[in-house]
Amino acid sequence: MENTTHFGFKDVATEDKQGLVRGVFDSVASKYDLMNDVLSFGAHRLWKRYTVASSNVKTGDKVLDIAGGTGDLAIEFRKKAGESGKVILSDINAAMLAEGRRNLTNKGVFGVEFIQLNAENLPFESNSFDCVSIAFGLRNVTDKDQALREMHRILKPGGCLLVLEFSKTDNELLSQAYDFYSFNIMPKLGGIIADDEESYQYLAESIRQHPDQETLKNMVLDAGFSFCEYHNLTGGIVALHKGIKA
Amino acid sequence: MQHFVLEQALNYLIDQGDADIGSLNGKTIYFALDDLPLTLNFICTNNRIFVTTDTSSNADVDIKLKSNVFLSLLQGEEISDLLKQDKIIIHGDVKTAQLLVDLLKSAQIDFEEILSQYTGDVIANQIGNIARNLKGSSNTLNSPIEAIKDGLTSLLISPSKSKLYKNKNT
Ligand SMILES: C[S@@+](CC[C@H](N)C(=O)[O-])C[C@H]1O[C@@H](n2cnc3c(N)ncnc32)[C@H](O)[C@@H]1O
Repeated sequence: MENTTHFGFKDVATEDKQGLVRGVFDSVASKYDLMNDVLSFGAHRLWKRYTVASSNVKTGDKVLDIAGGTGDLAIEFRKKAGESGKVILSDINAAMLAEGRRNLTNKGVFGVEFIQLNAENLPFESNSFDCVSIAFGLRNVTDKDQALREMHRILKPGGCLLVLEFSKTDNELLSQAYDFYSFNIMPKLGGIIADDEESYQYLAESIRQHPDQETLKNMVLDAGFSFCEYHNLTGGIVALHKGIKA
Repeated sequence: MQHFVLEQALNYLIDQGDADIGSLNGKTIYFALDDLPLTLNFICTNNRIFVTTDTSSNADVDIKLKSNVFLSLLQGEEISDLLKQDKIIIHGDVKTAQLLVDLLKSAQIDFEEILSQYTGDVIANQIGNIARNLKGSSNTLNSPIEAIKDGLTSLLISPSKSKLYKNKNT
């Protein structure tokens, strides 16, 4: 089949993927934060905290969080960039963005801008951001290379890209336990808590289809970044790729 | 993972106005310790420093030396003397190398402890050092407490402290 792409383990027409992904996040939006805490045993908060700490974002910086969902990163970036900075929380999905807005308001975080956008086509001027982040979002994007090129384009020289994403662990035991967990337990919990086993089956499958650490590093460099390094977190279950534009 | 701690400490210094990287802006400095598995790039850009283990791109200045020479440099030994004694190799502008050394000095990081991470395991001391360096600030944004939390977070979530992952690209 030509012009197909992965949607979890299924091959689907490229033009259909975006709609299918939207369906998943429309469905899980309202239970998204609760599910994250349950499924990762709270670890996602540490992964995100580490991501923001690695960003070197300073007071006054301009930061774009892509696929930002309920806004965990945006909240932390807002603290770092301060009043004089600018933080934009963006997502392709209106339901997730609405959850993000609600979440930030509930937490008393103001001054963050919200923009609905597709990572593949960023509506910003070139060389305009100090930092661009995407957490657990890239694997859902249909054309990842295009998205990375766009992120490179809008970053200033010296700007920093952060990609936090599930990855590959090279520890055999951990890998087996994790496989069992994600294919047998995660979808069941998704069924019980969010009443949506299918979406969590997709999430488990999409994690397996995502490029490993070295492949993603090369994709970041191919997109034009001068430097890219990754840090494995929790044994490589998650990796943070950090790219720097020269 | 130690380079993360170093990066945090250097940027904290810059944010506090205790270090000026103006003259280093736009420069990438390759730094290698011959006797330890430690090669780093210091990328000085956008008024901040990124410390990376990705050293694949060309740097403006190359610095190579042994760890004990590095420590003596931090204790006040002059680059020019070390150059004469062939204890340090610098390709590129020596002044830029000097600026980096000055910056590392002013960070008052206990490098002995950091370097010992490459041969042993001294996480607790490292946290102590971050705390020592960062205390006394009233800045609530990038505050010491936040920085310590960040440091702790990095240690907690990274099994890279274990021998299993040592020397990998973590
Ligand atoms: C797993 S959530 C991650 C949310 C948040 N960053 C976090 O870490 O909690 C993935 C998000 O990616 C968004 N997304 C999927 N495809 C996208 C695209 N092409 N452009 C922008 N966002 C996208 C989804 O709507 C969803 O909110």
